[in-house]
Amino acid sequence: MSEKSISATIAKINQLDGILTLFLHPKMSSQQQQQQTVNLTDLDLPSLQQVKVQLEEELSHLTQSYGKLKGAQARFADCADSVESIKGEKADDKTILVPLTSSLYVPGKLSNVEKVIVDIGTGYYVEKTLDGAEKFYQGKAEYVKQNLEKLQETINGKQSSLRAIVNVMQEKIQQQQQQAAAAK
Amino acid sequence: MATQNLDANPRGIPRSPFVERVEDYVSDAEPADVVLRKFQETISKYKFMEVNMLQRRKVLEEKIPEIEKTIAMVDFLVEKHESNEPVYTDYELNDTLYAKAKVEASGTVYLWLGANVMLEYTFEEAKDLLSSKCETAKTSLRNTLEDLEFLRDQITTMEVNTARVYNWDVKQRRLAREQAAK
Repeated sequence: MSEKSISATIAKINQLDGILTLFLHPKMSSQQQQQQTVNLTDLDLPSLQQVKVQLEEELSHLTQSYGKLKGAQARFADCADSVESIKGEKADDKTILVPLTSSLYVPGKLSNVEKVIVDIGTGYYVEKTLDGAEKFYQGKAEYVKQNLEKLQETINGKQSSLRAIVNVMQEKIQQQQQQAAAAK
Repeated sequence: MATQNLDANPRGIPRSPFVERVEDYVSDAEPADVVLRKFQETISKYKFMEVNMLQRRKVLEEKIPEIEKTIAMVDFLVEKHESNEPVYTDYELNDTLYAKAKVEASGTVYLWLGANVMLEYTFEEAKDLLSSKCETAKTSLRNTLEDLEFLRDQITTMEVNTARVYNWDVKQRRLAREQAAK
């Protein structure tokens, strides 16, 4: 997953979060989510069902994005390790298999163990020293980690909203059944 | 292509017959809705095949430029080998990480054949292997494109057939109603 798609995923998560807050509280769109159960009991069963389906969709999107971000984090960690592994080597020392295309390899030797080229996204490549590159990847991994934590919180919030909705729905169903039984 | 098999194209996809006279296909033993259902099944089978073909075409369209690039690289290495110059390259160490390396052309290359298999080849062997792979891929692509076109035709024919049988059936029912009303 490239730079662009990581930032796009994070933007989408923030957007989804905003939309859901709006949906649950159309009257208090700018306030934080509070007193959800009060608003939910005002809704009738079909709308509750709708909200539930919406929440489940959002939850699956968010979980997917969570997985992708986790993958991105692993790759940044991997890149940092690769830089580490070059650090210990001397130029022209050992023979390595150099990939020229995805299926063609040629034997060669490392030259210039001081600098590496890093893809910083949007088509830009920067030559960095080993330390600079390592710091860059670690910084990226941190950034992704923070977003992962934020995402985790959002997911937990949505899950508890979902549980609350399911509870309210069950109560309503019970009420309806009691009314139907009383009417007979 | 149309002159070979009347009932199937070279890859064995059956040709769908055009319904000239609906009465040939609909009888008491096979009422119209049974025929319609059979046609629908056939259409969905064709559509399934079409999806597969599209997938295959996409894969091939990606592979062919890759193979051509690899052939170009082997040619480049052959040149360098003849002039005995070392090549300085930036190779992909990781997804967003590139490092410098010095390559001295040694007369052999290593080709990744997939399934955790890598073999060493001389320049000529490598070029032959890659060229034959490229040829096979190009032929497959040509066949796939042909098949796609053929499938499109058959799907359209079957849809027209369905429409004809349905219209004929509607007409029959109207005639039967008029008869019964007399």
